[in-house]
Amino acid sequence: MNYSRRQLLTSSACGFGGLALGDLLRQEGFAANSLSARKPHCRAAAKRVIFLFMQGGPSQMDMFDFKPALARFHGGVLPFSLPDSEATVGLDNTRLLGPVTSFGRQGQSGLQMTDLLPELAQHADDLCVLRGMKSDSPNHPVATMMLHTGTTNQIWPSLGAWVSYGLGTENDQLPSYLTILPVEGARNYGSAFLPAIHQGTPIQEVGITAGKLPIRHLKDAEIPNPLKRRQLDFLQSINREQLDRLGEDQKMEGVIESMELAFRMQMEAPKLVDFSGETKTTLDLYGIDQTPTNQMGRQCLLARRFAEAGVRFIQVGMGGWDHHGQIRSALPNQCAAADKPIAGLLADLKNRGLLAETLVVWAGEFGRTPHSQDLGGSGSGVGREHNPHGFTIWLAGGGVKGGMTYGETDDFGYRVVQGKVHIHDLHATILHLLGLDHKRLTYHQTGRDFRLTDVHGRVCHEILI
Amino acid sequence: MALLVLYSSRKNNCSRYRNPVITTAVAWWFFLAPGFATDSIEPSKIEFFETYIRPVLVEQCYECHSAQSEEPNGGLRLDTRAGIRSGGDSGAAIVPGRVEASRLIDAISFSGDFYDMPPKGKLPEVVIARFRRWIEMGAPDPREGPHKALKENEHQRPHAKDLWSLQPIKPAKLPVVSDPAWPVQRIDHFILKELERQGLQPAPAAHRHALLRRITFDLTGLPPTPVEINEFVGDQSPDAFEKVVERLLTSEAFGDHWARHWLDLACYADTGDADGNVLIGEAWRYRDYVIEAFNSDKPFDQFIREQVAGDLLSANTSIERREQIVATGFLAIGPWTLQNYIKGQLAADVVDHQIEKIGRIFLGMSLGCARCHDHKFDPVPTRDYYALAGIFHSTLTTRHDGPGVWSRIVPTILPESEVHAGKRKASLREFEQKRQQIKDRQQSLQQEPLDGLPSPTANQLTLKEGLDANTANQFYEISFEAGPSVWADRSQATSENDGLVFEILRSNETVLHRYEYTPQPWSGQSQAQSLEPAMFKYKGDGTGPVRLRIKPRLETIGRFGGAVDQLVWTTGEVLILREDFNSLTLTAITGRQPDTHLTVYAGVQLPGWLGAGINHSHAVKIGEKDYAIQFFGGNPPVLADETRKELAELASQLQVLEFNKPKIDEALALRDVETPRDSPIYIRGDFNNHGNVIPRGFLSAIRIQDNFQVNRATSGRRELAEWLIDPENPLTPRVLVNRIWQKMFGQGLVRTVDYLGTVAEPPSHPALLDDLAARFIRRDSSEGESPGLAWSLKGLIREIALSRSYRMSSDNNAAGREIDPDNRLFWRMNRRRLEAEEIRDGLLSVSGRLNPHRSGPSLALELVGNVAGIGGNANPPTYTGAIVPEAIATRRTIYQAFARKRPAALLEILSVFDFPNRNEITGQRDSTTVPTQALFLLNSPYVKAAAQQTASRLLARDDLEDRQRVEYLRLMVFNRPSDRATVERDLEFVREYSAAYAISENPLGSPRVDGWTQYCHALLISNEFLFLE
Repeated sequence: MNYSRRQLLTSSACGFGGLALGDLLRQEGFAANSLSARKPHCRAAAKRVIFLFMQGGPSQMDMFDFKPALARFHGGVLPFSLPDSEATVGLDNTRLLGPVTSFGRQGQSGLQMTDLLPELAQHADDLCVLRGMKSDSPNHPVATMMLHTGTTNQIWPSLGAWVSYGLGTENDQLPSYLTILPVEGARNYGSAFLPAIHQGTPIQEVGITAGKLPIRHLKDAEIPNPLKRRQLDFLQSINREQLDRLGEDQKMEGVIESMELAFRMQMEAPKLVDFSGETKTTLDLYGIDQTPTNQMGRQCLLARRFAEAGVRFIQVGMGGWDHHGQIRSALPNQCAAADKPIAGLLADLKNRGLLAETLVVWAGEFGRTPHSQDLGGSGSGVGREHNPHGFTIWLAGGGVKGGMTYGETDDFGYRVVQGKVHIHDLHATILHLLGLDHKRLTYHQTGRDFRLTDVHGRVCHEILI
Repeated sequence: MALLVLYSSRKNNCSRYRNPVITTAVAWWFFLAPGFATDSIEPSKIEFFETYIRPVLVEQCYECHSAQSEEPNGGLRLDTRAGIRSGGDSGAAIVPGRVEASRLIDAISFSGDFYDMPPKGKLPEVVIARFRRWIEMGAPDPREGPHKALKENEHQRPHAKDLWSLQPIKPAKLPVVSDPAWPVQRIDHFILKELERQGLQPAPAAHRHALLRRITFDLTGLPPTPVEINEFVGDQSPDAFEKVVERLLTSEAFGDHWARHWLDLACYADTGDADGNVLIGEAWRYRDYVIEAFNSDKPFDQFIREQVAGDLLSANTSIERREQIVATGFLAIGPWTLQNYIKGQLAADVVDHQIEKIGRIFLGMSLGCARCHDHKFDPVPTRDYYALAGIFHSTLTTRHDGPGVWSRIVPTILPESEVHAGKRKASLREFEQKRQQIKDRQQSLQQEPLDGLPSPTANQLTLKEGLDANTANQFYEISFEAGPSVWADRSQATSENDGLVFEILRSNETVLHRYEYTPQPWSGQSQAQSLEPAMFKYKGDGTGPVRLRIKPRLETIGRFGGAVDQLVWTTGEVLILREDFNSLTLTAITGRQPDTHLTVYAGVQLPGWLGAGINHSHAVKIGEKDYAIQFFGGNPPVLADETRKELAELASQLQVLEFNKPKIDEALALRDVETPRDSPIYIRGDFNNHGNVIPRGFLSAIRIQDNFQVNRATSGRRELAEWLIDPENPLTPRVLVNRIWQKMFGQGLVRTVDYLGTVAEPPSHPALLDDLAARFIRRDSSEGESPGLAWSLKGLIREIALSRSYRMSSDNNAAGREIDPDNRLFWRMNRRRLEAEEIRDGLLSVSGRLNPHRSGPSLALELVGNVAGIGGNANPPTYTGAIVPEAIATRRTIYQAFARKRPAALLEILSVFDFPNRNEITGQRDSTTVPTQALFLLNSPYVKAAAQQTASRLLARDDLEDRQRVEYLRLMVFNRPSDRATVERDLEFVREYSAAYAISENPLGSPRVDGWTQYCHALLISNEFLFLE
């Protein structure tokens, strides 16, 4: 029997312990800095990821983790102690703060969730809600980096860059990793030591501001394309002349090619954010051109279009979940802006048969405390402080069980007591769903093999189909 | 041992318990003894273990903590008695008889202070209780077996003798080459020898133009000017190139360029926290120090000494002292997460970064690995890491000073010379003048008639005298009664969002603490609303006496913010102030309002207070001789729009002026803590989990004869610096020489310039590396064939620049490509793309806009709009980068403002072209090719503007014809003359483009100008400009 190395690999399903992806690629003539599509380590449930990053720390006990005890003891002193190691602000008079929204049971699974997300509630049976999330830091920048890169104090590649490195892309016209209106800092979508080709490309416009381009410097607004082409032709002739003089030079040839690619992007990319081909029904589904859902709706629709186009990792950024104060009024507004677009995305993906192969992740960098925070000191505009010790995210599609909850926090929603999923475990699980073994997806650098999960990570088999 | 410790710790104060303690200790000793036999345990206890404990361990723990797991997590095995008792990386999992000392119990109780185990979720309480019971009964456990699973390779500890870079530097003999005519410098012998060995020919000498372009960029980061080109090409003397090298080495541009290489390593930035732009102080002083050190060719050992321990050196003059303090900015400035809530973590991270800097920059070692475990490949045990950690924990870098959770880098006041003091006093006078001007103008504007209504900002009450209620870290409490109030009717009654602001003011009028009180809205009752007790606390900061100010929360809404009575200010039991507001002088208007049936007084005066009565504050009568003070939000001022606008502008100007008030110069610098101390090992890097305390010291793998002992009364940085530059330390000179080589040749002798450890590629020319390293540190200046360089960077660079190896062409040839495609042996010069600032500074230079001004601050904080959040309670002020004045924007890149979190538009060119992450130690930059670079070059306003300026500069040259313009431009951009055909071809493009432009839609400017602009643009983004041959 003659098996190619690749067949052997795929047939033996994740059985090749110890062989780093980089080695395999080299043996197969792939370059680590290419974007060509590659086979995963083993059977993949999902082909791509849409990561909805809810920046700021959504309040789990007001949305997905109902705590009757918290409601009952609202206004009471804290029944638990705060970690000595954390400095505090605005917690001098802190008290338990009962849920600020009402909860109901949704779907056949009877998922308990806030009434503030009525559209998402229609998809309750698709959601895999992880209530036992844990991260390492209560600081935004640090926890954001943890969520995106798996580290709190190094410059490491982001999850999306690892996925691009591991799987390449199915569309050579577009980058493999796009982040739509990023709210995370650039190092959260960077490639660090991985080849730069795997870094996230920010989409900076979703068709709201007329004349603004989706990708930075996509076009010279003052010069018509034919004239720009004329200049480019002249430039390329100078470049080729030099190359003729010098002989072969890969690096310089690379620049010449990148100029051509840039010009092609200049012609093609504006079509990305042109929604004129979408039906009114679709636009309405996402709440596009409606208040307050227009922006998030456009981001989510764009995510679906990129998913359809074969982009491997798509991130959608939404800020505004950092409710230190005025949570009673701010959270409903925030939910109203998020609900329809996200529900629309799930519905649209499902209708097009894409949800089963697309992993949708909804996550903030941490959650919030069950106790009140009062930065103003007046007692009138309370909110909640950051909480990495226990919080909730959800997944949908791409190989996870719908209509289930996994993990549990204590009676007040402060710390995980059951089914803990650390960010490293989440990363391991996401890679697993994409057919990548987090222990084998490595990159050799300064003498050692680096991986997204470092020396951690547990695949949560409990939530897989 | 356990027995001894327990005994001695108790004998002094508790002698009657001596015997029981000994007994218990002996019992433990017995349990821990290796010969412990199963049959000595009572059968019932074994049964307890077998029934309740073993099944749980098997089911919940063995997967990761036993012989069956690939590598027991945390080094912990729970499947043998020895394993569970000796424990893993975090210490013993159980201590028989002592539940509180058993980490296993911490873990399974999900205490949050330790690992939460098992990871899937907390065990039932009853199971946890059984574990406690089991430990209390002495943890009977019949399971035999070793405490640790021995893995392959485990015995192979990395050893110093196996690592080439740790061996003493060997003096090299000059290799004998077969073509003795080729070498000019010692370097050339070593290079040629290897080439000959491999049957390779060195490339011919580079063309003069290419060589001048190369050396000028390599030494100064700028292109040569047409004058410099003509001078060199026209100079036929044999030492023409030596003269060029000398000219470049002595130009100030040398320091501007080479200091930037050092700042890449130092993670330099002008703003603060790792991920944001908090203002940290005057970082630029360190930047200028580095530039000056390179320009003055400060001996590199001294440069290292000052940066590591400048504050601990002695100085002869205040100038020298200032320099030494500023130098330590090397370690004081870094990517600190200043807002980290967890201060122990912040401290550990700062120390870690400082150790990484020492390791990677000077020693070529990644010491950070040893934070959690012994280094896997290099001979760096964890105890070495904590020996160094003790030095940096004994060094003060940041302190939690607020506001809020924020720490800051602790600044050091710089000694003032008379000149400095004079300058400061002059600028202080200037400051006072400006402030007075603004205040006068404000006054005159505010005195304009306000439609007969009082100024809303005056409706406040402020204590006349400061009170001594501000001891640092002391808590003070202010309690009072308060509630809604009303004057005439609902329109002037307390409504939703109205309220009162209580401010504790420092003597300089800044706010130490602010508290907002928001009462329920006025209910409409006709009787006085009862006042509710309220209180707040604040913490003193030791800045002197404070005053209290009470004012309405909304100042211009024409309603009452609230009423206050019975104010009491205390600390602990001590009364500082009691004010019942009853000793007031009731004057002017008194009224009984029909709607409310309350007696209200306007124009009251309170002894000891400023404000009330002068304008529009009120008192309301609550009972007989019992009043509360009311605060009126004022009527909206009726000011002309432009007056209001000007007032707002004046207010921001004043705020920014005060923010920039001249003060004594400060530097971001290091100093020793008051009580230097050794650091414990942080087990697995966890700062809460302490192991043995390690005496301060250095890397054990480097043996130096001189016995470097840390002076226990100091941090030990001084000794660390001397240890780094000791002639017997083989790493420092090897690493440094290799860095310089990489900058000159594009590739190091060891290609990983920040890492010379076990798994790095060995050097391509070990003898050359050692020859350069040995001579670099040698101080004998004997002329001869092997002169010492006495730590002179310029000396080393000069020697490299003048070598024949450096002067080779970069042309490819078939043999070289075949035998040595990576050019490891330097058979030709490596081509390289210009680095980000070379592109930027080159564009500025060619377009004629380069501003030669050097040194000094870059943030332009004096401009309104560049600082946000002045005076905030929760966050410190940040740099916005909103305005970059032209005078700064046209300076060389090194003098730009380097924000850790870069605003998108600012210096975008740098991030596009692989400028290093400011939080990452970077010895060698990437040189990537991605489409975003092409888009930036083709379409960005920045490059377009450079093209426009170049074109208008060119067209303004009336003395030139178009043909000469093309020649001149090509000389400026490519730094070489052009042939006639090329010039004609270029002119043709300009003509054709102009013609096409003239007939295109909406031609905006002149076709001729645009044709030249597009031509300039093409040249400026061509490979010949972007690459060095």
